[in-house]
Amino acid sequence: MAATPYTYIQCPCSDPSTLGRPADANSPTGTEPDEDDRTFDPRAPRSSYSLYPLEHLLYCEDCHQIRCPRCVAEEIVTYYCPNCLFEVPSSNLKSEGNRCTRSCFQCPICIGPLAVTSVETKPDPTLLAAPDNTAAPHSGPYALTCSYCHWSSTEAGIKFEKPNGIHAQLAKLRNGGTTRLTAKERKERRKDPSYRSTATEGGGPGDENLDLETQFANLKAFYQNQLADPNSGDAGLAALGDLGFSSPTSLSRIMSIYTGGSLQDKKAKSRVGAMREALESDEGLQLANLDESAAIEALQSDGHDCTASTTQLADQPPNLGEHHLHGRSRFTADLRPIPYLLRTKRSKRCPLCRHIISKPEAKVQTTRFRIRLVAGSYIPSIAIRPLSLSGGSGSSASGSALPGALLDPLKPAHYLLTFKNPIFETIKVTLGAPAKTPGRFASKVTVLCPDFEIGANTDVWDEALKDGGGGGGEPGRERRRQRRGEEGGGGSQGNINNNNHNQLEVGKIWERGRNWVSIVVEVVPASLRLDGGGDAPLAEDEDVLEIPMFVRVEWEGEPGGDEVGSVAGKDREAREKRELAYWCVLGLGRIRQ
Amino acid sequence: MSSRRPPRGEYIETDTGNKVARKATLVGTQNIMLGGKTVIQPDVMIRGDLIRTIQASSQAASGAAPNNTAVSIGRYCFLSRGCCLRPPGRLYKGAFTFMPLRMGDHVFVGPASVVQAASIGSHVHIGAKVAVGEFAIIKDYVRILDGTVVPPNMVIPSFSIVAGQPARLIGEVPEGGHDAFELRDLYKTVGNNPQPAP
Repeated sequence: MAATPYTYIQCPCSDPSTLGRPADANSPTGTEPDEDDRTFDPRAPRSSYSLYPLEHLLYCEDCHQIRCPRCVAEEIVTYYCPNCLFEVPSSNLKSEGNRCTRSCFQCPICIGPLAVTSVETKPDPTLLAAPDNTAAPHSGPYALTCSYCHWSSTEAGIKFEKPNGIHAQLAKLRNGGTTRLTAKERKERRKDPSYRSTATEGGGPGDENLDLETQFANLKAFYQNQLADPNSGDAGLAALGDLGFSSPTSLSRIMSIYTGGSLQDKKAKSRVGAMREALESDEGLQLANLDESAAIEALQSDGHDCTASTTQLADQPPNLGEHHLHGRSRFTADLRPIPYLLRTKRSKRCPLCRHIISKPEAKVQTTRFRIRLVAGSYIPSIAIRPLSLSGGSGSSASGSALPGALLDPLKPAHYLLTFKNPIFETIKVTLGAPAKTPGRFASKVTVLCPDFEIGANTDVWDEALKDGGGGGGEPGRERRRQRRGEEGGGGSQGNINNNNHNQLEVGKIWERGRNWVSIVVEVVPASLRLDGGGDAPLAEDEDVLEIPMFVRVEWEGEPGGDEVGSVAGKDREAREKRELAYWCVLGLGRIRQ
Repeated sequence: MSSRRPPRGEYIETDTGNKVARKATLVGTQNIMLGGKTVIQPDVMIRGDLIRTIQASSQAASGAAPNNTAVSIGRYCFLSRGCCLRPPGRLYKGAFTFMPLRMGDHVFVGPASVVQAASIGSHVHIGAKVAVGEFAIIKDYVRILDGTVVPPNMVIPSFSIVAGQPARLIGEVPEGGHDAFELRDLYKTVGNNPQPAP
């Protein structure tokens, strides 16, 4: 859990009350009072999947609803390598895979970036940039070295002839420097009769050490031959699915099903043994190498330090190791350089109306967004600050209470919640919080002012000009202040009001500014003492005082939904009443145990 | 600055709005470029003396004045107490030379961090006790968490959150988190007459 204090907002997508309901669930139906009364429990196991900081949330302008990373639909705009920042076209992606095929590699030991260095001279990063380093020519061979852990590809026996095109060179190299056959070469070698004869002469069947790709290719060719062969039975076909639909046997089998010929079935059964398994290495048979004495010896000499960790093995790109599955590289010496996984730029769509709510520019280097509807520019932000009332003069908001300090149990504490309005309309906020927090240790919560208005987020310069001209505040705000029974003589907005006026009073705003309002929440933290031995011990983060709070925001917007560029004060004919309601969780701090 | 001498404060405030602590150690100041509105806190060290000793061939050919900038910093950067900016150096055509360290706007460098990057984009947050290795390239909107060790030559693309030793990608900066990189408000909170944070 994050450092306190924090504010998390619940995305309505996972709220069971909104599931299966039409999008305009705002209209009060009144049919399910029990659902309306239900308090959101931030400690429920599901809750942590629906709570997000405000920055992670998006907002759909058409549905007028918050959207979280879980409920948006993502579409990939661009693939690019995070190391060389080159864009990879999606056509290349299909043929080359999801890794960078330039010379970008990560260290298999520490995942740091690898640089191409000359093996002969001392490793230096000279070759990385300087394209015109003809003055000091480096002659091969080259190796990939990590400048963080000083791993070198020579440790795995990999050296390169050229300093460029490393990916292509590495694809042909096995660990230890022996060449590896590419798919094309493998195919050609199969056709070569001289190779076939040598392969069959040497030793028994399955002796040849096939690498994974060759074995798979051999097996695939072998079984495809078997399937296409009309003489082989169809015993194994059912499991192979549609693979065998082209073969004559499966055709006859299907025909027999429809003609209902039981005689045909019997015939088929008699041919069960006709499909055979691979017997030679040429057909893909690979005998398991059960002799692990080499591995045991390596373990005995080097200990566990030389074994690869699971994360290191998981980082290894698939199908690149030449070992067979059962002797798979278990030692760090067998690990190969990892080509960088590509990264993506993604646009996001609203799951309901399919409108795009976030779309970055396609170019890799730009950081601009074409569309970026973030929740922070639609719903008020909530900042939490401890408020200390002790001390003679200490009524200013930045009191002596340190943020992050522990809360004393059963001792009332006060917190200042500052709501900041990001939109260009005046909003009306209604808060609802349970009197006692849910969970085993129920703390008492009192929101002193659960109902207030926040001024519009007008231009700062408008405000400054008005202040300079009139001396007082904005007329509208002045009226509001009087209506609320506050002293109007508090000076210019944004300044802290005179100390003595700020007393904890129910229904009164603590402090207000141009587009923000601070209110006070009083909490009496619960005692975390466990009485009796029967209680379970304190669970992780159970000492954090979390308040679920229901926030309802009302404002009058333009019907067009064009919030941008409209300055408050212009008279609009038809004003549409808008409303947004959501649960949020205020993490105030930890209670002293 | 008015003719009447203001009282000697902790910071030197320049015409372009830079706030440089008197206790900061700036070596080779003529090679350090500040874009303006940059805060340099006490005990910060900037090694402007580590200049390029070999000029790029294109510049030498054109006969232009040698560009000796060792460290260039954009606007609204914030260098916290005890951090160090050091231009990276390497062998180039057989001779050792330093290369300039470039930093964009709104870059926060946390306390006790050492930065030897080749370039840092704009809106970058480098936490406390971070080591950025030589010739690392950090793009825009990157957050480097406390205690990270960025290995030399690493490229960190935009909108990355990295942590660990060595640094690895642990997350992406969400769309709504871009404003958190703005350092205009932080700039106002330091100086000779600081304003409280809003």
